[in-house]
Amino acid sequence: MQYEMVAGFETHVELATNTKIFCACTTKFGGDPNTHCCPICIGLPGVLPKLNREVVRFAIRAGLATNCKIANISKMDRKNYCYPDLPKAYQISQYDKPLCENGYIELSNGRRIRLNRIHIEEDAGKLIHKRGDTYIDYNRGGVPLIEIVSEPDIRSVDEAKEYVEKLQQIMRYIGVSDCRMQEGSMRCDVNVSVRPMGSDKLGTRTEIKNMNSITFIGKAMEYEFSRQVDLIENGGEVEQQTLRYNDAENTTSPMRGKEDANDYRYFRDPDLVTISVSDEEIDDLRKTIPELPFEKVARYVSDLGLSEKDASNIAKYRRIAEFFEEASSGVKNPKTVANFIIGQVFRRLETEDDKESFDIKTTAAQLNELVKLIDEGKIKNNLAKSTLEKMLDTGEGVKEFVSESDMAGLDENAMKQLCEKAVESNPKAVEDYKKGKQKAVKSLVGFVMKESRGKADAAAAEEYIISIIK
Amino acid sequence: MAEGIIKRLGKMLDEKEISCTELTEKYLSAIESSNGDLNAYVKVTSDEALTAAKAVDEKIASGESRGALAGIPMTLKDNISTKGIETTCCSKILEGYKPIYNATVWNKLSGEGAVLLGKTNMDEFAMGSSCETSYFGGAANPHDITCVAGGSSGGVASAVGGNIAPYGLGSDTGGSIRQPASFCGIVGLKPTYGAVSRYGLIAYASSFDQIGPLTTTVEDAAIVYDAISDYDPMDSTSRGNCGKNVLSSLKNDIKGMKIGVADEYFDGVPDDICQSVENAVKVYESLGAEIVRFKLPALKSALPVYYILACAEASSNLGRYDGIRYGYRTANYNDINEMVCKTRSEGFGAEVKRRILLGTYVLSAGYYDAYYKKAQNLRGSIVNAFADAFKDCDVILAPTVPNTAFKKGSAISDPIQTYLTDICTVPVNIAGLPGISIPCGFDGSGMPIGMQLIGDKFCEDKILNAAWVYENTMCGEVFKPSSYGVSL
Amino acid sequence: MVTREDIINIARLSKLYIAEEELDDMTKAMDDIVKFADTINSAAEKGVEEFDNINNLRNAFREDTVVPSYDRDEILKNANDTGEGHFLVRKRV
Repeated sequence: MQYEMVAGFETHVELATNTKIFCACTTKFGGDPNTHCCPICIGLPGVLPKLNREVVRFAIRAGLATNCKIANISKMDRKNYCYPDLPKAYQISQYDKPLCENGYIELSNGRRIRLNRIHIEEDAGKLIHKRGDTYIDYNRGGVPLIEIVSEPDIRSVDEAKEYVEKLQQIMRYIGVSDCRMQEGSMRCDVNVSVRPMGSDKLGTRTEIKNMNSITFIGKAMEYEFSRQVDLIENGGEVEQQTLRYNDAENTTSPMRGKEDANDYRYFRDPDLVTISVSDEEIDDLRKTIPELPFEKVARYVSDLGLSEKDASNIAKYRRIAEFFEEASSGVKNPKTVANFIIGQVFRRLETEDDKESFDIKTTAAQLNELVKLIDEGKIKNNLAKSTLEKMLDTGEGVKEFVSESDMAGLDENAMKQLCEKAVESNPKAVEDYKKGKQKAVKSLVGFVMKESRGKADAAAAEEYIISIIK
Repeated sequence: MAEGIIKRLGKMLDEKEISCTELTEKYLSAIESSNGDLNAYVKVTSDEALTAAKAVDEKIASGESRGALAGIPMTLKDNISTKGIETTCCSKILEGYKPIYNATVWNKLSGEGAVLLGKTNMDEFAMGSSCETSYFGGAANPHDITCVAGGSSGGVASAVGGNIAPYGLGSDTGGSIRQPASFCGIVGLKPTYGAVSRYGLIAYASSFDQIGPLTTTVEDAAIVYDAISDYDPMDSTSRGNCGKNVLSSLKNDIKGMKIGVADEYFDGVPDDICQSVENAVKVYESLGAEIVRFKLPALKSALPVYYILACAEASSNLGRYDGIRYGYRTANYNDINEMVCKTRSEGFGAEVKRRILLGTYVLSAGYYDAYYKKAQNLRGSIVNAFADAFKDCDVILAPTVPNTAFKKGSAISDPIQTYLTDICTVPVNIAGLPGISIPCGFDGSGMPIGMQLIGDKFCEDKILNAAWVYENTMCGEVFKPSSYGVSL
Repeated sequence: MVTREDIINIARLSKLYIAEEELDDMTKAMDDIVKFADTINSAAEKGVEEFDNINNLRNAFREDTVVPSYDRDEILKNANDTGEGHFLVRKRV
């Protein structure tokens, strides 16, 4: 029998605010243990939380960028459970009145993954276990999080990966988070269940906790899918449980500990007051949402004539997209700019992080100037290429490497002289050509281009060379 | 005319009759001789007090003008955080805990030159009505040390009533300022919720807790209230005092003031207490006030509503005592979970455990709607009932407690019976209203009886003025200084 | 009716141990208290909307400006056990 995968995501994203959600400590990643702490974020007796305004703004922007409805009235609740990484023995979160509800993310195959809600909450500290001892660091405690809860609308590993990548791109674009999975600023809990192909009722789901790599998410889901299918095929039943993914063995195993039979006893936090957001405020925040990656791709393809592939390669990273748009303003053919970026610039940005931070010497204005020279026929493509390399190395503008005379082009006599010189000094190539070896003429043209330092018009040169050989 | 101690001591300082250091030493030695009997203080901070006193003396010497509270010794309930000074809520679980920050109220008062004599006794985590759940044993009543001082702010009441502190700050969640004030024959003010910052007050029930003064006179209460009531950005529920200076509102005239009397407050209250409150009603009538009699049926559910909500919040507030970051930690355990459970089981007393369990129960799956949610809605109707009542009257007059100070150890072992004695005080906390308890007579055995004046939100000025007028007319008959402590 | 099982469950959630011999008394005590709490269910609530906060305050916010954190020594000062700059819970044998 054929089975279908049904998956939903609960994604935690750390917000890039300056300070923690309820106190003025920094949210900087790392730092010596317990050096980003104060009485409030270690939960000393008598302290009170004060909500960071920016956290609310960021969460609303995340909601607007994912087509959510923003609640005018919302509140903070206490989620009670006792664990050493949680200093107050409750996490301040949102239970029945989240800030954002009913959004969606649209995948390239046109399917919409519905978002049930986005709510704000505080992160917990870190536990380090050594030789059975437990070391506790609260630097991360109180860092603001949004939890993005999807409906179980995902049907394949590819959809899952695209969903996570899209979320990542959007959150980075609107600047609410750097979404660095390896640093834990984006973490996913994945709910997986299976059902016979064509069935529309949900099977029993398992939850794979704290996934922090897209690759592992894919592997874990595949493993869990086949594990569940095997179970059912062999007459067994899937048991609802929380799992941990073990990347070394690529297996999932049940998690014990704080989850066992929890009853969170949610109630409104009496230390915090109601959050009310007016439609005006929501509209003002909507104005701050930039053009999103998938919108850019569409525009690059339709208006700028880029290929789907090139368009998404550029739109994927906000900084690169902005660089591309500035560099191609007013140029005849934006494709040229795209080619320079995807060709020469990307060669210098190996990792995703390199592309994300996009730290290069050349400015968009400099590239724009270079491409315009090509448009005006002042320099030829291959000269432009080598020049761009020099620009990228040094950060200097095109004028540093291409002189006025270079750009003046080559007058006809000079060109003809060079062609004759080429014929004289390359008898071998001339012979070959006469023997019908069409390609041989190319080396003669190459000679002319070289001598003219790329200024000669290759087509005209070829034509003239052929005319003298005959 | 009852002159407050704060002004009297202030005059002595200003007229150089006594130096702040001498005054502080006077109180410190009084504590030394009396605290054995009263057990009001759980920690005496002599060094800090003398340092603070010296600083004030220098200011006075340098001719700087002295603020109302500068150089006046005082005390704080042991659940108000004081940087570097042990703050335990009189619980074993906070043994040795020294806060690394100050409660906002203490920042304000120490900033004005207040001199902290020490931290005073209380029921463990403010859960109790006799101060007897304190890890350090209960405080005694200065009028009869075989009787309790009341609770939970029993230590402050005992210290102020016993003249080993001119005034003190307590906290009131279900009557913890007013009830011990009534038992010890002094004045206790529970401000409007949000008038005084809760930052640094170790939480019992966050939506009920308020810090307030315990003093010997209404004027003193007004002075201290003016000093501590303020908006605090650290407390999201803080409102401040709406710009009112209540001291200036004490004026000897209540002609035409409407004083409400609600039958429910007198249900099951002993005759001698009803009688002395009724006498107060006559006094007010004679002073030209208009008495409005009415009913407050919503009060019937006040006690269970209070215990359900307060314990629910407490069960969550007290989850943090896990032996990891501060306080007591059990000696032997096999894993962290066992460490936490043993620490809490050994660190908390019986009453605290009972309330944590009740709170957990009413919030737990399957019971939330029947208890917590229902109680929240009833809280709403009690709030509305008072709002309606204050359309027809300026203040409400009621007994503070349906009993007077009882013998130590006689507190009925049945918790419910003890809870029932909070009947007159909890409605004010449920509705977040200001309430003040002042002495209004004595029972058969000469123990003080208190009456309570309740106002609408942020109407401290009205209840203080009504209390002040009564005090000025009656202080001779209703106030009896105790034989303990500093005599001025 | 509060059962022993109820007490065992809420004690577990509350991270409190209740000795076997105390269990019956505690069950009885809690049953009395809960019966007392039950009296609210006889009280009529006049369809009031959910209680919010006493003064109906809205939007008490902090601006997003960093204030230097505390010295770690201060943060760890009251801890029962520490190591390598961490709060520490040692394994016991």
